[in-house]
Amino acid sequence: MENIIAQLAWRNVWRNKRRTVLTFLTIMVGGAMIIFINSIAKGGHDQMIEDAVALNTGHIQIHEKGFWENQTIDYAFQLSPELNQRLEENPHVTGHSRRIQAGGLLSFRDNTRGIFIQGIDPEMEKQVSNLHEKIMPGGRFLRSDDTTQVVIGSTLAKNIGARVNDTFAMISQGFDGSIAAERLTIVGLFKSGNPEYDREVVLMPLSQARSTFTMMNYIHTLAIRLDEAAHLNMVKDDIVRFTSKSETQLEVMGWDELMPELVQFIVMDDISGYIFDFILFLVVAFGILNTIQMSVFERTREFGVMLSIGTRPQQISAMILMESVYIALIGIILAIGFGYAISLYFEINPIDYSKFSEEIAVWGISTTLYPAKTTFINIAMTSLFTFLLAVLFSIFPARRAAKLNPIQAIRKL
Amino acid sequence: MNIIELENVYKNYETHGNIIPALRGVNLQIAKGEFAALAGPSGSGKTTLLNIIGGLDQPTSGSVTVGNTRLNQLSKKAISDLRLRKIGFVFQAYNLIPVLTAIENVEYVLLLQGINKKDRLTRSKDVLREVGLEKEMYRPPHELSGGQQQRVAVARAIVSSPDIVLADEPTANLDQKTGAHLLAMMRELNLREHITFLFSTHDPMVMEHSKRLINLIDGRIVSDEIHSKP
Repeated sequence: MENIIAQLAWRNVWRNKRRTVLTFLTIMVGGAMIIFINSIAKGGHDQMIEDAVALNTGHIQIHEKGFWENQTIDYAFQLSPELNQRLEENPHVTGHSRRIQAGGLLSFRDNTRGIFIQGIDPEMEKQVSNLHEKIMPGGRFLRSDDTTQVVIGSTLAKNIGARVNDTFAMISQGFDGSIAAERLTIVGLFKSGNPEYDREVVLMPLSQARSTFTMMNYIHTLAIRLDEAAHLNMVKDDIVRFTSKSETQLEVMGWDELMPELVQFIVMDDISGYIFDFILFLVVAFGILNTIQMSVFERTREFGVMLSIGTRPQQISAMILMESVYIALIGIILAIGFGYAISLYFEINPIDYSKFSEEIAVWGISTTLYPAKTTFINIAMTSLFTFLLAVLFSIFPARRAAKLNPIQAIRKL
Repeated sequence: MNIIELENVYKNYETHGNIIPALRGVNLQIAKGEFAALAGPSGSGKTTLLNIIGGLDQPTSGSVTVGNTRLNQLSKKAISDLRLRKIGFVFQAYNLIPVLTAIENVEYVLLLQGINKKDRLTRSKDVLREVGLEKEMYRPPHELSGGQQQRVAVARAIVSSPDIVLADEPTANLDQKTGAHLLAMMRELNLREHITFLFSTHDPMVMEHSKRLINLIDGRIVSDEIHSKP
């Protein structure tokens, strides 16, 4: 009885149990939906980024300045031993891979196709990308001792009618301007899920690419993989600082710069998610407003009596706000429990998007299983907004009750 | 010594642009310890007069003094405080806080006054005993009869030892026997505690039991009789 306002508020919350329970359900379902939708979005975005990064891009790429814009063989640089050591010593760098990249023409029997050749160190590449895991049965990935052996995209192979162990001719331009031509033998086909990649890419050993394209010790790309995408800026800043004094001007790009269309997609998806969140928040807030408003309306006479016997108007409004706080807090606890439970279920049992694999593969994403990912910030922000809206939407009925004229209120039945 | 003094009190209400006079120049003095009733037909101004004395409403003109305090000059907060400490109210019906038990309803007023827990409990129990509700102390209002609820309301009105108890038709919703019992109890408190009671009523039984009967018609006092019966 000491804190009478809090006690009265608590008891008032339970006066109309059915209505209170319905309000709890509104908050619980609304809040849980917000937590769940945000978890699905977060899990999906993280998975998309991870897939896109793991397929080829890596988290960071280093090129000679101008390579990314022009994409020609002329922009190449030499990886200094110091930079190599710096990367190896960085605890957040899990792998880095040198690449030679060039466009070329493939000829097999009567078929000719434009291709994108990527010279890679098979062992180092495994630390950066996961193409070695996407080799189709009957073939293999590149080995360190391979020379003119190549792995090509499954769609490319299908388009030219080639199979494992077939040999085709490739012609391109060398780093020195000479003609780069080679006969290459297919040892494996990969199916990355990215249509463009599967249609154009030819992987060959780095050592052979050096020789074929007369690259000497030059490379076009150093792709870097991190332990977590969250460490991107930290590692990138370190590399930028470290390479700022090098003779060759280098460009250090994060995955977000390398794949702006993916960032754009995530931003767009986030915006539509926020709009949905906003609508759900409004539903929850109006649910609370309705309950408090009805409750205040029904108790007009009681407030009149309370004011008549000496209760201050501020105490009346504090009591109503407190009722709203109790309802919101209980609703939020239920929403967190329910929302987390659903999110956890979909974290363990990811949503299967295999029916839409063609559409999402446009972003280089092959994964069709998307687990939810519940974050503290998601739960905290959902709880905070629900709470603030509950209090905000209760101010009006609370002020209205406090301004009641006791005589008119007592007359109301 | 007068505890209530009204001088030339007028009260007009305005409805849809029309001015409706509720009180027309009321002059009234009530002495400490009186057991008085305001009687008259509906619309005669009894409740308006009671509300003005209790500070729930303000007169259009005229002076209202309760104890030594002139209400016309007080702020809303000061009037609220005066009601809390000096005046007890009993309304027709439904005047308890439904989520509080009988003793908590009584204790509520003391709590608003900042009285400590021990004193609150002692005084609340004492007054509930006085109104004969010792066994019903811990029951919520909905488990009490109409008469019992009104007795709790009287207990709440007198628990802080106010100077005046204003009761607006306290027996209106009670049967005759219960009403008579409630009146007898209030009269006993009036005699024992010297609390001034002022009723507004239609009820002939209340009029009969009151020691002074003030009749109002059309906002004017038309008669003021002292009953000599004990």
